[in-house]
Amino acid sequence: MKEVTKEVLIDASNRLLFTMSDSEFNLLLEEFEIIKKQMDLMGHIEGVDDVEPMTFPYEVEVSYLREDSPKEVISKEEALKNAKNVKDGQIKLPKVV
Amino acid sequence: MNFEAVIGLEIHVEMKTKSKMFSSAPINFSDEPNTDTTYLDFAFPGTMPVVNKEAVRKAIQMCNALHMEIDDELWFDRKNYFYSDLPKGYQITQQARPIGKNGYLEIEIDGEKRKIGIERLHMEEDTCKQTHFNDYTLLDYNRAGIPLIEIVSLPVMHTGLEARKYVEKIREFVTFSGVSDGKMEEGSLRCDVNISLRPYGSEKFGTKVEIKNLNSIANIEKAIDYEILRQSRLLFKGEDIIQETRRFDEAKKETILMRVKTDAVDYKYFTEPNITPIKLSKEFIIDAINSCPELYDSKLNRFLNDYKLERVDAEILLNNVSLADFFEEICKYSKYYISISKFVITDILGYLNKSNLEIKDFNVEPKYIAELIDLLQNKEVNSSQGKEIFNHLIKENRSPIKIKEELGFTVISDDSVIRNIVTGIINKDSSLVTSFKNGKTRVQGFIMGQVMKELKGKANPVLANKIILEELNK
Repeated sequence: MKEVTKEVLIDASNRLLFTMSDSEFNLLLEEFEIIKKQMDLMGHIEGVDDVEPMTFPYEVEVSYLREDSPKEVISKEEALKNAKNVKDGQIKLPKVV
Repeated sequence: MNFEAVIGLEIHVEMKTKSKMFSSAPINFSDEPNTDTTYLDFAFPGTMPVVNKEAVRKAIQMCNALHMEIDDELWFDRKNYFYSDLPKGYQITQQARPIGKNGYLEIEIDGEKRKIGIERLHMEEDTCKQTHFNDYTLLDYNRAGIPLIEIVSLPVMHTGLEARKYVEKIREFVTFSGVSDGKMEEGSLRCDVNISLRPYGSEKFGTKVEIKNLNSIANIEKAIDYEILRQSRLLFKGEDIIQETRRFDEAKKETILMRVKTDAVDYKYFTEPNITPIKLSKEFIIDAINSCPELYDSKLNRFLNDYKLERVDAEILLNNVSLADFFEEICKYSKYYISISKFVITDILGYLNKSNLEIKDFNVEPKYIAELIDLLQNKEVNSSQGKEIFNHLIKENRSPIKIKEELGFTVISDDSVIRNIVTGIINKDSSLVTSFKNGKTRVQGFIMGQVMKELKGKANPVLANKIILEELNK
């Protein structure tokens, strides 16, 4: 596992556009330390590599599928409410490609 | 040529459902931008995806048409990437367990059949539609979440023609089964081509080039043929093929570099935690398969054997499933199947093409077309009268029998009436018989013109012709 250092966390927070204080970084580092210890503990369990990883915490089988009938629709105004720039009823972005 | 092209195709098909893949927002192609959306399509926190039953049924129908193994448990995955066309930051797809795998379809080239292997078919959601301008981009989320199926062929095709036939067959399946409109020009069927070259006999694949943005089936063939030529030239010159994405420039008829591919993108796939595995019952799968509308090959067989159509006519009708359906609707009211097929192809299709309309815009009821065909076949009207009735029918959509009565159309099929006129003409000018016997066949046409003039165009032309020949040969 990649070692989690303060530099790694700063890099991640920059990429995710989060501003974090020093105390928050330290708290996160402590949490990662705990997680790492737990992982190490599990790593020592005999035959752990032979266990198939689970995706869901419990095995559940459903058969529900939604009927194909349009039900929920929001107004154009509501759809565009959070957009910073709108043009001709569409969300306007600076061109990135 | 010393190189063999290896071609694989990825086809995305927008499924024709009423609501989206994971939300119950409506789908209407002609709607204003951003009016067919709901909270899930914008990835509002707390919204949860719920799988559309009809999309699953349609995917099963396609799997069946492509002879695939169908997974009876649905699993979805997240494909993570950050881009403006998908507000969640990931697309829900089926990476690890596609609904269908290990299938094939058959293409025919010069009378020879070939199986093209298909690796997988999976369901996913479409992204929003981006329209790029010089310095900005507009986003329409009506398309975000429309159910898609992606069909991935094995890299087993070798020519542009094979690839075209393959796409034509897929298009035929999706349109006949009602899974999709399959319109490449409108983006409801999209095709990406992967193509590499290798020396004949070599097992190792060459460097792969991807061609995107192909908007017609004809262009798929042209783009591949050009790409084979371009790569061969480079290899002959001893140059390397660069792994890149290209697009087809329709005007220049060549592929143009879009971007060079560096390392493969890591989408960090993982199981979609918001959709628990869904078990499909045997009954559900069988019912989906059994309710699939009839596909092309079976329809073609029926058109040839039940309606006794000529192959070329059957194929023209089946070029467009709506036209084929319309033909069959007419056949419910009249038994002159061959005449119906000719009428649909010549008169109806001719009218539609001339007016730039589609069959769905044609407002005449099938039973009235059948009535007109019966009038023609029973010689109650002649062909020019039939054409005039058809012109009224297009505008008025009402009974051709009534139109015929109102226009006062009758056909004179009385042998003695026609024969009297014919003998009158011949007796008046004895040179006609001599000229005819000397090989001047246009005499026949001249007399026919006179008969028609005399009877104001109402003579039964078949009968009149027969009588003219009899009298001239006496």
